[in-house]
Amino acid sequence: MNGALLTLDSVNTFYGPVQVHFDLSLGVPAGKIVCLLGGNASGKSTTMKIILGLLKPRSGAILLDGQPITNLPTPAIVRAGVASVPESRRLFPAMTVRENLLMGAFTRRDRAAVQQDLDRILELFPRLGERLAQRAGTLSGGEQQMVAMARALMGRPRLICMDEPTMGLSPLYVDRVLELIQTISRQGVTIFMVEQNANLALQIAHYGYVLQTGRIALQGSAPELLRNPQIRDVYLGGQSVQQK
Amino acid sequence: MTSWLDHTVNGLIIGNIYALIAVGLALIFGVSNLINFAHGSVYMIGAYTGWVCVAAIGTPLPLTLLGVVVGCAALGILIERFGLRPLQGAPRIAPLLATIGIGLVLEQIAQLIFSPDPRALPSQLPAWRLPLGSGSIGALDLFIAAVGVVSTAVLYGFLRFTHLGWAVRATAQDRDAALQMGIDVHRVNQVVFAIASALGGLSGVLVGMYFNNIFPAMGFQATLKGFVAELIGGVGSVPGAVAGSLLLGLIESYGVALLGTSYRNLFAFLILIAVLVWRPNGIFSSTRQVPPEPLTGTFIAPSKPVHVPRWAYAAATAIFLALPLIWRDSYIIQTLTNAWLYGMLALSLTLVAGTTGQMSLGHAGLLAIGGYASALLALDLGVPVPLALLLAGFITAALGTLLIFPAFRLRGHYVAIATLAIGEIVGLVILNWEGLTRGPIGVVGIPPLEFFGLPLYDTSALYWVSFTIMVLLALLQWRLTQYHLGRALRAIREDDVAARAFGISLNRYKGLAFAFSGFVAGLSGAITAHMYSYINHETFNTQISLLALTMIILGGMGNIFGAIVGAVALIGLPEMFRAVAEYRILLYGIVLLLLVRFRPQGLMGTV
Ligand SMILES: Nc1ncnc2c1ncn2[C@@H]1O[C@H](COP(=O)(O)OP(=O)(O)OP(=O)(O)O)[C@@H](O)[C@H]1O
Ligand SMILES: [Mg+2]
Repeated sequence: MNGALLTLDSVNTFYGPVQVHFDLSLGVPAGKIVCLLGGNASGKSTTMKIILGLLKPRSGAILLDGQPITNLPTPAIVRAGVASVPESRRLFPAMTVRENLLMGAFTRRDRAAVQQDLDRILELFPRLGERLAQRAGTLSGGEQQMVAMARALMGRPRLICMDEPTMGLSPLYVDRVLELIQTISRQGVTIFMVEQNANLALQIAHYGYVLQTGRIALQGSAPELLRNPQIRDVYLGGQSVQQK
Repeated sequence: MTSWLDHTVNGLIIGNIYALIAVGLALIFGVSNLINFAHGSVYMIGAYTGWVCVAAIGTPLPLTLLGVVVGCAALGILIERFGLRPLQGAPRIAPLLATIGIGLVLEQIAQLIFSPDPRALPSQLPAWRLPLGSGSIGALDLFIAAVGVVSTAVLYGFLRFTHLGWAVRATAQDRDAALQMGIDVHRVNQVVFAIASALGGLSGVLVGMYFNNIFPAMGFQATLKGFVAELIGGVGSVPGAVAGSLLLGLIESYGVALLGTSYRNLFAFLILIAVLVWRPNGIFSSTRQVPPEPLTGTFIAPSKPVHVPRWAYAAATAIFLALPLIWRDSYIIQTLTNAWLYGMLALSLTLVAGTTGQMSLGHAGLLAIGGYASALLALDLGVPVPLALLLAGFITAALGTLLIFPAFRLRGHYVAIATLAIGEIVGLVILNWEGLTRGPIGVVGIPPLEFFGLPLYDTSALYWVSFTIMVLLALLQWRLTQYHLGRALRAIREDDVAARAFGISLNRYKGLAFAFSGFVAGLSGAITAHMYSYINHETFNTQISLLALTMIILGGMGNIFGAIVGAVALIGLPEMFRAVAEYRILLYGIVLLLLVRFRPQGLMGTV
C-alpha cells in the first residue's frame, strides 16, 4: 500500500458494544477509482464515516498521504482534501442548487477561483445549470445525485468518498453517474466508492475490495474480481458471499 | 376610549418584543434541535444587566444596550460550552432537561443577588409622546419597534450574505452534511447561542423599561410566549418566528381589549394548543404531519435497576409506619408527610414521563384540579371529605386526560410544550372562572381530612393517611405496569410507530396512562388542599412540576420506588438542613444538571 493516497491500517470500529470493523486494512492509490463492495450491513457506510471522522475507530490508523488523520475533527479532514458524496445525498434541501454547490466550497477563501470552478463544473453537469435557482429539496433523485457530486468537486478535493452513488437511480442515470465518475477521475481526483452492485462498480473501478461483516474477504484488480467465481455467484443469482 | 389603531400599535410593539425572543429560540432549535427552556432566564438576566448599567453605573442608553448584548452573548456562549456541549451524544431528552436546570439556576442566582422583589427599570428614552389616532405613541414604543426591525434585518443579512451565516443555515438543515462541507458545527452552535442570547437579553431590557418593572421570575412567561410565537410560525423557522410573534402580539392586544387583561396569557396558551393540534408545523405550513422525530434514542435508555429485595420494601414500610411513634419531632413528621404527597405526584409523573415517554411539564395542573375539585365538592356541595377525595381523583383523571387528549398525536419535544401550556391553562382558568373557583381570592376554610367523621389535625394521623395512600397507589401502579400494560406503554415510549404497527392502540394506552396518572396526582392535590385549608391559583405552580421532574430523574425515570426515593431526597433532605431554605430551588437546579450529566439513570435506575 505504499504511496497510497488513503490508507486504513488495522482499524477496529464499534457502535457501543457492537464491533463493525475487524482489523480492516485497505489502500486507495492516488488517481485511481477504488470500490468497496459488500452486502447490507457489512460495514461499508461505516468505513466512509471513519474516513471522514464522523465516527472514530477504537484502534487503528487512517492516513491521508501518509499523514494520520485518525483523530482530526471532520472539518479538518475536509480541509485536508477529502470530500464526500454521502449515502442518500444529504443536500441542504431549503437551499438552492447554487447555494448547495457553493457550500461545497465552504472551506475555500479564493472567491474568484470558486466562481471559475463553478462555471467549469456546470459544464460537466449541464442539467444543473438550468436549475441553479431551484431548491435542492425539490429536485428529482437523479438530479440530487448530480448536485451531490458537483458539490463534492467544488472543494477541489484530492479524494472523493462516494457512498452508493447509483442507489435508486434509473438505468439511464446510473450510466451517466458512472461516466461522470470516470471523467472526474481523469481530472486527477482519486475516488473511493462504496457499491452494492459489483458489476456496475467494477466496470469503471481500477481496484476493488469486498467487505464481509467488517473484514476484507477478497481484493483485486477490477478484471480479476469480475472473473472471480465468488463475485459472479453473488451478482448472477448465486449465493451471497456472507453465507459461505 | 382607546381605538383599534391603538390596539394595533400596541400589539405590534409587544409582537416585536416577542420576536426578539422567538427568533433566538428558532435559531437554536434550527441548529441544535433543542427547545431552550433557559431562554427566558437569559432574557431576565438581560433585564438585570440593564438595571445594573442604568441604576448602578449610570450608563447612557447606547452603552446600556451594548452592555446587555455583550453580557448576554457571553452568557449564551457559556451555556452552550459548559451546559450543553458535554451532553453531545447523550439521549436527546438530556439537553432539554439541562436547559430546564440552567434556567432554574440562573433565576435563583438572580433572586439571591437582587432579591425576589420587583425593581424599577426606568426608561432611558425621552418621555415625549406623539399623538396618533385617539391615543399616542411614545419614544420608547418607537424605539422598541426600531430595535425589532433592525435586529431582524441584521439577522437576515447575516444569514443570507455572510460565510458564517451560510454555515448556520446549512447546519440547521443537515448537521452531518454541514460537517462534511468542513463546517465547524461547534462554532456555529456557539455563535447561534451568542446571537440568540443577545437578542433575548435585549428583549428583556426593553420589556423592563416598557413596564418600568423587572423581577427574577419574569423569564418564565417570556419563554412560554416565545414558544407560542415560534410554534405559530413553524418551529425552527426564523421568518416564521417573526410573523408568529407579530400575530401573537396583535391577537393578545385585541383579545385584551375585548375581554380584559387577565385573559392575555390564556389567549396565548389556547392558541398554542390549537396550533399544536391543527397545525403543528406552524400556520404557514399546509401539512398536518408532525416533522418526523424518531423517538429511539430520545429517552434515557433503561439501565439495570438497582435490585431491592422484597423484605427490604416490607422493612422500609414498617419502619416508616412506626416512625411517628419513635421519632416525636413533629417538624420531621410534617416534612415527611409533605414528601409522601410529593411522592404521589412523582409516581404519577414517572408513569407518563418515564414509562410512557410523554414528557409532562405541567403536572402541577393535575394537583390543582384535584385540590380544587375536592375543596369545592366539600365546601359548596357538602360532600363528605373522604368521598370528595375519591371523586377528586376521578375528576382529575377524566379532566386531565381530556385536556391532554388533543395532544396525543404529538411526540417528543412537542409533548413537553403542550403539557407545559396545559398546566398554565389550568392555572389561568382557575384564576378567571371566578363563579366556580373564587378567582384570585382562592378557596378558604377547606374542611380538614377526616376519618369516619373524625377530623384529623394530628400530625401523626396525617402522616399515616398520606403514607398509606401513597404505598397503596405505588403497589397498584407496580401491579399495573408489571405485565401487559407496562410492556405496551414502554413500547410506545421506544417507538410509537412500531408500537402502532404491532396493534397497540396509542390513544387507548396513552389515555390509560394519563388517567391513572391523573387519579394519583389528583388525590395528592386533594389531600394537600384539605391539609392546607387554603389554596389559590398559584399554590400548584410550574416550579412544582419541575421539582417533580427532578424527583423522578433522581430516582430513575419509570422506577416506582425511585420516584418515592426522589421525593424523600428532594423534600426531606433540604428540610433537614433548615438553613438552606432560600437555596433550595437553586439546589434542585444543580441536582438536575449534575444528574443529567453524570447519572442520567438516577439513583435507582431507569425502567
Ligand atoms: N449509528 C449506528 N448505531 C448503531 N449501529 C449502527 C449504526 N450505524 C450502523 N450500525 C450498524 O453497523 C453495521 C454496519 O452498518 P453500515 O451502515 O456500515 O452497513 P453498510 O455496509 O453500509 O450497509 P448498507 O449496504 O445496508 O448501506 C450494521 O449492522 C448496522 O446496524
Ligand atoms: Mg450503507
